[in-house]
Amino acid sequence: MSETQIPPDVTVDSRGAGCPGPLMDLIGKIRSAEPGTVFELLTTDSSSKHDVPEWVEKSNHEVLDVVERDGYWSIFVEKH
Amino acid sequence: MTGYAIVLASGELERLQAVANIASVAAVSDVPVDVFATMDGLEAFDVETVENKSFEGGAIAKAMLESTDVEIPLFTESFGRAKEMGPFAVYACELSMDLLGKSVDDYVDLFDGVLGVSGFLTKAADKQVIFV
Repeated sequence: MSETQIPPDVTVDSRGAGCPGPLMDLIGKIRSAEPGTVFELLTTDSSSKHDVPEWVEKSNHEVLDVVERDGYWSIFVEKH
Repeated sequence: MTGYAIVLASGELERLQAVANIASVAAVSDVPVDVFATMDGLEAFDVETVENKSFEGGAIAKAMLESTDVEIPLFTESFGRAKEMGPFAVYACELSMDLLGKSVDDYVDLFDGVLGVSGFLTKAADKQVIFV
């Protein structure tokens, strides 16, 4: 799925934060959201592109896409 | 097994940060975590030590403290955040405080209580114990 097909409901900008900051930021937001909410997590932390999907899958949510951008990654997650 | 009981006995910043990172993610994932700060691990929470960031540590500790490109919260901040978001508790070792004539008020405001060994073992009875 391309990035243009995933309009996020919530953008979490964690660029500049080291591990596990981006994951913690996402968890903080996702816990209070309604099921079906789509998040775009922006991160410059390279470990997040593996670590965040790991947590998302384990928590029974869904990774929609991981997009590499210019100097950071967008990780799209849907809360289930 | 219903979570982790972490014995934090080291004052090295690298170890403190690693414990904070792992324990925080576990706790916000609803995995219970109890941290028992003892020996030099407790002294790292001393108010003046935290204010002056005068921690033990090597090259990684230095890099973390001097990093300007990557935002790395200090372990005390991570602990505080985890306590707000999940089943996370921090306990101070009574023996360590007694040896130095200190009270829990000499440490940053994170502690849920003061424990001896028996108290910690009770907390740890149903958890996987990790010694750092």
